[in-house]
Amino acid sequence: MPESVDPQRLRLTGEASAHGVLLGFRCLDCGVTVFGPCAFCQSCTSDQLEPVELSSTGVLYSFTVVRVPPAGWPGPVPYVLGQVELPDGPQVLAEVIECDHDQINIGMPVELTLQLVPSESGGQDKFVYKWRPARI
Amino acid sequence: MDRLRTGREVVVAGVGLHPFGRFPEKDLATLAVDAVVPALNDAGVRWKDIPIAYFGHVYYHGMSVGETALGKLGLTGVPIINVENACSSGSTAFWQAYWGISSGLYDLALAFGAEKVPRGPVTVTAEDSPDRYIGGDHMMAGYALRMRRYMEDTGASASSLAQVAVKARQNASLNPFAHRNTAYTLEEVLESRLIADPLTLYQCCPTSEGAAAAVLCARDSLGRYGIDEPRAVTVASATLSSGSYNGRGSDHSAFSPYRTEPGALQAYEMAGLGPEDVDLVQVHDAATIGELQQLESLHLVPFGEAWKATEDGRTALTGDIPTNTDGGLLAMGHPFGATGVRMVHETATQLRGEAGPRQVKGARVGLAQCSGAGDVTTVIILSK
Repeated sequence: MPESVDPQRLRLTGEASAHGVLLGFRCLDCGVTVFGPCAFCQSCTSDQLEPVELSSTGVLYSFTVVRVPPAGWPGPVPYVLGQVELPDGPQVLAEVIECDHDQINIGMPVELTLQLVPSESGGQDKFVYKWRPARI
Repeated sequence: MDRLRTGREVVVAGVGLHPFGRFPEKDLATLAVDAVVPALNDAGVRWKDIPIAYFGHVYYHGMSVGETALGKLGLTGVPIINVENACSSGSTAFWQAYWGISSGLYDLALAFGAEKVPRGPVTVTAEDSPDRYIGGDHMMAGYALRMRRYMEDTGASASSLAQVAVKARQNASLNPFAHRNTAYTLEEVLESRLIADPLTLYQCCPTSEGAAAAVLCARDSLGRYGIDEPRAVTVASATLSSGSYNGRGSDHSAFSPYRTEPGALQAYEMAGLGPEDVDLVQVHDAATIGELQQLESLHLVPFGEAWKATEDGRTALTGDIPTNTDGGLLAMGHPFGATGVRMVHETATQLRGEAGPRQVKGARVGLAQCSGAGDVTTVIILSK
């Protein structure tokens, strides 16, 4: 059974586990929301945090088409890396898929999607969070 | 940031540099020693007089490599600290040496750094990190994200950015220690292959090997070690900081172009100097966009305008903000542990008036800024 690439950032939902939600924390003291695991608020250092599910849509703050991938990259080359701003506040870096590389621009609405990525080392396949152009 | 209490006046008494490039015949310890010995000779001090040493490096070459390197000069029993602080490892070693003397613990100290960076894109996380699957752990992709956003926000064009690399190569063509020391045209920079668009190959620093060293001394102790006072360069400030929350995220470089600013303001205050007093500057130009955003963070030009300053020739050797006078990371190359100390070497050489064909005339104040993963930032101001 495939796992989430990082269960502290992505919770799989639904029976087939092809759906999921990004996870984070909101600070009850200062109101800041962060993406991913956190025991103390990144902004004010408070430990009064509540777990939250983050928005599954956002807009591209910036992007690049990576032609020379880093070691261990299990996907296609070139690939689009998107820096996506969520309405909740935090930004989330991930691959942007299902898009024409010439048709991407800053400010473009995107939505969360999951992709099954085979393990490079022969271990378990993993569901990885990706962005794709919003279909609304 | 808190106000720093300064102690004794500290000077750079000697500097040494091993050329940057590829040296498969030399191990890390040998590279390091080949920068340390020239630095000791430049200062005119003996190895057995050095009471403390700090060594910056990142990649693993076995345990306590600093001890292996300096042991070649004789086993004197001195404390040797191995420092890993990403791309700021060397400048962090320098920072520690500075505070070791300033605080009164030592009168003399050695700071050095060396690196043999493997070829290919640089990553930050551990090999089993989820970030390797996600695809965001790629230093130059992080710079590319910053570059595209900068172009969108400021109106800078691809050729404005490329001009930074052209200038770096021009400076390096006057420096035999540079990894890449032939000049490039704007077209060659723009037409080199894409790494992560809009960043082309020649807008990314080479991964390199090399080493650099500096001997620091308390000004009140120069006579005791027979150090030539007129060649001594004052350390007006040295600051070190890590990332502070910027409201966006916890991922590395892509989110943090301007985190140098607090450390820079602290360094100016400590030195009693302002951006207007700086005659030349070395900044962390791992990619062309890095130089522009660092110049802005250091308040040497208004935010969003460093590309114009570059196009107007203000950052060239003949401009009013000569930047990366030895070629910077873009042309010197970037052996992580050595880079911060290399910047000190170039700044001290310029302030001594010993930079030969790339000498900035009348330079009295020089600033060196390094930044690395974890938003480790150092700002060092030297004055003559």
